[in-house]
Amino acid sequence: MLIDVNSYIGHWPFRRLKGNTCKEQLARMDAAGIEQAVLFNLNGVFYKNVQSANDELYEAIQEDPAYRRRFIPFATINPIYSGWKHDFEESVKRQGAKGIRLHPLYHGYELTNPAVVELAQMAKEHNLPIAMSLRIVDNRPSSWLDIMKEWALKDVLPLIKAVPDAKYLILNLANNSNFTAFNREELSLVRQTNMLMDTSGRMVLELADMMKNYGSNKFAFGSHYPILDPVTGLLRIETLRSGEITDQERKMLYSENAKKFLSL
Amino acid sequence: MSTQSRRDFLTKSAAAIALSNLPFVGHSQPSSQPPAPWNLGEEVKKYRKIDSHAHVYFTKGNFEQVIDIADRLHIEKLVISRPMVPGGKGEPSEFIECNNLVLAAMKQYPNRFFGQLTLNPQYPKESMEEINRCIGEGMIGVKLYNHVKINDPLFYPIIEKFIDLKMMILMHMGIGIARIEYNPREPKGVSIPEDMVEAALRYPEAKFQLAHIGGGIDWEAACKAVRGVPNIFVDVSGSNNFAHMIDFAVKCVGVDRLFFGCDNSFYQGVGHVLAADLSEADRRKIYFENYNNYLKSIGRNVN
Repeated sequence: MLIDVNSYIGHWPFRRLKGNTCKEQLARMDAAGIEQAVLFNLNGVFYKNVQSANDELYEAIQEDPAYRRRFIPFATINPIYSGWKHDFEESVKRQGAKGIRLHPLYHGYELTNPAVVELAQMAKEHNLPIAMSLRIVDNRPSSWLDIMKEWALKDVLPLIKAVPDAKYLILNLANNSNFTAFNREELSLVRQTNMLMDTSGRMVLELADMMKNYGSNKFAFGSHYPILDPVTGLLRIETLRSGEITDQERKMLYSENAKKFLSL
Repeated sequence: MSTQSRRDFLTKSAAAIALSNLPFVGHSQPSSQPPAPWNLGEEVKKYRKIDSHAHVYFTKGNFEQVIDIADRLHIEKLVISRPMVPGGKGEPSEFIECNNLVLAAMKQYPNRFFGQLTLNPQYPKESMEEINRCIGEGMIGVKLYNHVKINDPLFYPIIEKFIDLKMMILMHMGIGIARIEYNPREPKGVSIPEDMVEAALRYPEAKFQLAHIGGGIDWEAACKAVRGVPNIFVDVSGSNNFAHMIDFAVKCVGVDRLFFGCDNSFYQGVGHVLAADLSEADRRKIYFENYNNYLKSIGRNVN
């Protein structure tokens, strides 16, 4: 069984996407043997009122019972924008969001902002994961209208330090995401945190080594599709040799870690 | 389910999936049934591969590391080079040292590595000597970096030499004007696709390889720039595996002018070709046959 912890519907304003509807995503999942997928709405990056993106995601998933069964929707919350607590209530309690998605780089706030910390506390109290991506796209060939900044894994630490007992889903590992970037104390914090990282990012180079250093319970298959191709994130798992990963660990990466993390 | 039993199950389900050319794109109607897993490992193994853009490094054990990952992904041959240090002067002692590394790798893995030399046309005498030395040692082309633009007259004698040799000229493409302004990290001598077009039109009998459309360059702009230039081949290597990049490249330049490559981002290189909306025949062309046709033209093809 496979669970993809990183997929999208919605639009990217600087480049045409394909596969960015529930119908296309589900067909892709059927072809690839993916049972369920965490689904974000990319429009939540760009709408000032992100609740509109959550409404779209909710409405899209209501269109087919298979969508409701197979997709795991996450709501985008912008904690520096008016009414975000209402958005949280609406998207989680009425629309059934299974997690929260933040876009600090695009929405323009620091993770030390008190409102972000408050949101993380709320997510924790509702047992909801908080998802963040180190980047959405590679900044180099992106548009002149797009942001330039990307994160390394270390950049998520301020929120983890502030709310260490929340659940964090970290996506598209880019830049320096190696364990050597952390000091002993930071590495210990990462290991102790209930954190899941997906396999879509370019810095997932030696997954077996990363599993040894971060913990094999810290990784899960993710595609970042349709921004990135849908195969590479799985290829990184499939090409691990039997001496590098146990059968149990492989199952953990395919779906077990995601199931546990997402309380499925 | 154990890995082995999972793979048995995958194998049994492969026949149904193989009916589609588009295993991961998913153009079929969504099903309400639980999905049958796709046999990704077998799919990777199915295609022979020549990596048209690879590198070796001076770090200890690097040749073995490159071969190890190539083995995982069933990459049969790799065309390797060792570019000079970014921002350096590119003096002859440096490019000779880089080429010696490539020669050592070729010697250690003669059945896996094809070598490409590097040079700097600001040193014409030494560059020409290096071409003769390295081609004499069995290299199959040249990999150029960012000291001088490919359409600069300094390159004319180099290009003419490679026309005589009938060999490929692979030129690094900089991030360049991806955001209108040149990326601050790029030196003045970095080539952009329009520079290669100018050189290719001046020398229609030369063979050019535009480097790594996944390497951080504006791949849509690059593919559009070389659309009507038949002597420019495009390699799809690089770390940026943006979805549907290959499909766009096929639409712009045609499947016959695309080369598979990784630029050492091996998972992305293999993954995005496998994910592309291609027939099996076209996927074989990109992974293997197109570059092998070039190798055949110089009498070095893979059987």
